[in-house]
Amino acid sequence: MDESSLPWIILLAPLVSVAVIVFLTQGSRTISAGVSILAVLVSFVASCLVFHAPDPAGVNQITWLDFPALHVPIGVTIDQLSKTMLIVVTGIGALIHIYSAGYMKGDDGESRYFAGLSLFMFSMLGIVLANNFVMMFIFWELVGVSSYVLIGHWFFRDAPPAAANKAFITNRIGDFGFMLGILMLWLATKSVVFTEIEKSLGVSKFENLNLTAATLLIFCGTIGKSAQFPLHVWLPDAMEGPTPVSALIHAATMVAAGVYMLARVFFLVQASPDAQWVIAFIGTITSLMAASMAIQQNDIKRILAYSTLSQLGYMVMAIGMLSKEAAMFHLFTHAFFKALLFLGAGAVIYGMHHEQDIWKMGGLGKKMPLTCATFAVGTLALIGCPGFSGHFSKEMILAAALSGSKWTFAAALATAFLTSFYMVRLFVVVFLGEPKTDAAKHGHDAPPVMALPLVILAIPSFLAGYGFFISHFVPLHGTEAPGFVSLFAFLAFASGAVMAVLLYRGKKEDPIHIGLLANKYYFDEIYAALIRWTQELLARQCGRFDRWVLDGLVRLLSGGTYAAGFALRSFQVGNLQAYAFLFGAGIVAFLWYVVSK
Amino acid sequence: MIKDYLPILIQAVVAIGFAASALVVSIILGKAGKRNPTKDTAYECGMLPEGNAQPRFSVKFYQVAMLFILFDIEIVFMYPWAVVFREFVRAHHPVIFWSMLSFVSILTVGYVYAIKKGALDWKK
Amino acid sequence: MMPAIYLEAIVLTLGVLLVLMEAFSNSEEKTPVAWLGIVGLTFVFILTFFTANDLSASPYSAFYHADFRAIFFKRFALLTTIVVLVLSIEYRGVVQKYVFGSRPQAGLGEFYALPVFTCAGLMWMASAVDFIMIFVSLELVTISFYILVAYMRRNAGSLEAGVKYLILSALSTGFFVYGITWIYGVTGQTSLEKIGAILLGLKVSHGPLLFGFMLVLTGLGFKIACAPFQIWVPDVYQGAPTPVTAFLSVGSKAAGFIVLMRVAEVFLPVPWINHKAVTILVALAALSLLYGNLAAMPQHNLKRLMAYSSIAHAGYILIAVACIGSRYANIAVSFYLAGYLLMTLLTFLVMAAVANQAGGDDIVHFNGLGKRSPYLAFAMLAAMASLAGIPLTVGFFGKFLIFYVAYEKGQFLLMGIGVLTVAAGFYYYFKVVRAMYWKEPADDTPVRTSPLTGATIAALAFCIFFLGVYPAPVIRALEGPPSDNPRLLAR
Repeated sequence: MDESSLPWIILLAPLVSVAVIVFLTQGSRTISAGVSILAVLVSFVASCLVFHAPDPAGVNQITWLDFPALHVPIGVTIDQLSKTMLIVVTGIGALIHIYSAGYMKGDDGESRYFAGLSLFMFSMLGIVLANNFVMMFIFWELVGVSSYVLIGHWFFRDAPPAAANKAFITNRIGDFGFMLGILMLWLATKSVVFTEIEKSLGVSKFENLNLTAATLLIFCGTIGKSAQFPLHVWLPDAMEGPTPVSALIHAATMVAAGVYMLARVFFLVQASPDAQWVIAFIGTITSLMAASMAIQQNDIKRILAYSTLSQLGYMVMAIGMLSKEAAMFHLFTHAFFKALLFLGAGAVIYGMHHEQDIWKMGGLGKKMPLTCATFAVGTLALIGCPGFSGHFSKEMILAAALSGSKWTFAAALATAFLTSFYMVRLFVVVFLGEPKTDAAKHGHDAPPVMALPLVILAIPSFLAGYGFFISHFVPLHGTEAPGFVSLFAFLAFASGAVMAVLLYRGKKEDPIHIGLLANKYYFDEIYAALIRWTQELLARQCGRFDRWVLDGLVRLLSGGTYAAGFALRSFQVGNLQAYAFLFGAGIVAFLWYVVSK
Repeated sequence: MIKDYLPILIQAVVAIGFAASALVVSIILGKAGKRNPTKDTAYECGMLPEGNAQPRFSVKFYQVAMLFILFDIEIVFMYPWAVVFREFVRAHHPVIFWSMLSFVSILTVGYVYAIKKGALDWKK
Repeated sequence: MMPAIYLEAIVLTLGVLLVLMEAFSNSEEKTPVAWLGIVGLTFVFILTFFTANDLSASPYSAFYHADFRAIFFKRFALLTTIVVLVLSIEYRGVVQKYVFGSRPQAGLGEFYALPVFTCAGLMWMASAVDFIMIFVSLELVTISFYILVAYMRRNAGSLEAGVKYLILSALSTGFFVYGITWIYGVTGQTSLEKIGAILLGLKVSHGPLLFGFMLVLTGLGFKIACAPFQIWVPDVYQGAPTPVTAFLSVGSKAAGFIVLMRVAEVFLPVPWINHKAVTILVALAALSLLYGNLAAMPQHNLKRLMAYSSIAHAGYILIAVACIGSRYANIAVSFYLAGYLLMTLLTFLVMAAVANQAGGDDIVHFNGLGKRSPYLAFAMLAAMASLAGIPLTVGFFGKFLIFYVAYEKGQFLLMGIGVLTVAAGFYYYFKVVRAMYWKEPADDTPVRTSPLTGATIAALAFCIFFLGVYPAPVIRALEGPPSDNPRLLAR
């Protein structure tokens, strides 16, 4: 087999799986699950082969649209960036598929669920492989669709469909900006292919292109998909979906697509200094704000969701600080330990019969030793405990923050402190102390099919930061953090952890209560009010326009047509003469115009 | 060049003028008689007219007339062809012969079709 | 590689053969005539791929061009006629009801044979570059349409449509020929090429020439059914037999547009004509867009709705005609027409099938089609989505190209009207979709179609989606292979 066909296999295997499940195996849950897992394994193996092959020299693409004005190929990019991302997406994807087989057992919609997962894999791999904006945008939207399907998997309940809608609509806002950005670039450079745009940007300055505006519009896509402030509101709600989905889509891969996209078009960010500041600012705000919200949440998945927001903010900030390596490094390690944490949370929820409130748990460490141990690894990695993967990547992020200003560094440090605080709080409340409910007393470890992915994920969560591991994936050349950064990072980690232990050990309910944080800074309420208000205003104006202008026009025309038809129909002969007369009148009018000077 | 069209203009003026003056003169000189139904009939004396003034003709009539005109007009094409035929063949090419032959053969198809469909059969 | 002119000769011979077969055969069954027509035209369609399209070698090049566009439109005409014949077979019951004669299927043979002659005329027109040639082929098309429109002679609607079409069409032809004589009077030429050369030599405005060009434009305006020469369209479309309506709306329109393009490409580059002609074309396009789309909104009868939609689509294509001079105007027009062929013929096929069973072609007859025959309903959905211009259908790319060309030439007024009317289009096309999927059916019996019709419907729907995702083949066919194409070589 030709090596250049491997990327296509990676991309198409999940699509084939979707087709097979939808058209053939919808009846049998087991076969559907098998097909989907097989597909993702094929993609994974092919990804590994691609990973080990040297970067291909030529362009691997076929022409899709060959319009005079618009030339869009379907092509793949294989470079260090996409190779790393392929491994992350297919590797974690494969584990989560396997985990899902256990978690979703007995669910009526299992076939639909696996079709959705495969569709997601297809779209996500499309984003990773895309070599042009149009293709990326299409897969970008497809990812949104599959996320919608999966969040709303339990559509018969109240919350999931609402959450799915919220996610979809919020993303639309960002995507609109993304689309406008693509259009701006296309109109200026006459190309949508990344490499061609990069080349033409390097060769000449475009008079008609406001590069900062274009970059910021493209960044809107990231704001939506990676749930950055102010469009972050959808991600915590998206936790209404099944937990493996949260792990795969809303922690490890899809939400990281925004960061990946920025890394892919890094040349744009580099070329527009003004945009860099906005990006860094948004990232910093998001990370700090989300971390502060996390400390007052009680739902285990929501805490992790806010943590995801906060870490994504870190990555975006790093991009804004022009440290692509730091962002990708953190993306890489974060994908493993956050997936691990979510799967661990899933195991807890599974063991607790779908109870998600951490204050109804407690003492689970003894009941579920394996889950507890792996969860501990994930937590330590996330809070940046020395020796764990998160420590290394977080240090690089902090170093990147330092390169901006002391304020960003302080904000990043505060975030690190808060992260440590809320994660230890979570761990202490859930796994230590006494069981607080009956369900917690009878908790048990997950079945092997779910435990295996936990164990496998725990390994890279620990190791991924070390040089011998990461150097294969993200080239980190000569980016050593200054010593005092490490010191500050350690202090933030240690103080947060200690404070959380002291505050929460043996407590039956939350000793502190900060309404502003528990209510997420009232963002949902503000947005709801804002939307209601503008919508009402807009609707009223539209209604007016509709009633007076459109209706009037339609009525005038239809009434006119009817009246004319009626009048003419009563005179069969007059009808034809009238037609001929109108015809002649039209000609006379035109001729008069033409011959007149 | 415009001068060449002067006679046509004069003729048009005369024609319109004659018609108009005839109408005007008849209105001035003539006395409008009283109208009654008898006066409006086609003949003031003799038998009363019966039936429609515009009787329906059989469609056969139109059919045959149309076919006649059709084939008649085709013959018109042959006159100029025959006039230039010898000279054209000598000067250029005998393609002119085959052109007319194809034309006639297409006509023949139409003719055969008309006969077969009974278009020329008056009684049918 | 054979000369392109053989194609027309073969089609014409096929038509003659069909007529004679009908005259001489004693069989009651007339459907074989249609079958033979379909097979013959398919054969010619295949032949088009083995046709030389080289201009210089042809002895007729002064009045006959066989460029890529001509070949493309010849295929277009053939494909349309094939589908129309399929549609005629589906529709034969209705024709039979209104054309009873001495024998049960009397008259059906000609109903199948006449479209073949029309097809020959359309194909000829695609290549015609001389006013005499254009006129003769135009008449071949029009005269066969006179007969076809009024074909159901015991049906008052069909007869009414026939009379209206005859008189108004004759009127427009009169203007067309009158325009040609003025142009001939000034230039002494009928060949477009030579007229073009003379035109470029004229530096100052020439009234009679403009007058002639405008008359030609109005004559063509009638053929493409654009406002204000659209007045005949709704009545004639509704009254004519459904296959003929389909043929009119696709074939006649396409023929009008290719002639319009050929003529406009000669006249528009002349500066003093360009100014006025573009204004006229913009006005025609704007009027057609507004009239077609707005008047379609209150319609309840699908056939009539399609008539207004046909006017509206003429408006969209005219946008691109008004932009002649843009390198891609020609491609935009041809691509749009190709898409229009697919979606319009698909609509009429489904309509004929549904009308056969429900007994009418009002929108209410489509109620609950989604439940009765999901596949038919899906095909109709594809057609409607494409007519409305939704992405992933061929209609989207058609509109995309049109708007791109308008953008390039700075026709922002037309773009604005176009975008607004596209929105209006959604409203009435989705009335049909709503009826199919959200209304309860009057009865639950599925709509039956013959295998041939079913296969044609499936093929058309497939093409709509295929070209909606991958439009390259059509564009390739219009531009020729990359090796002949300067644009592609430059890349």
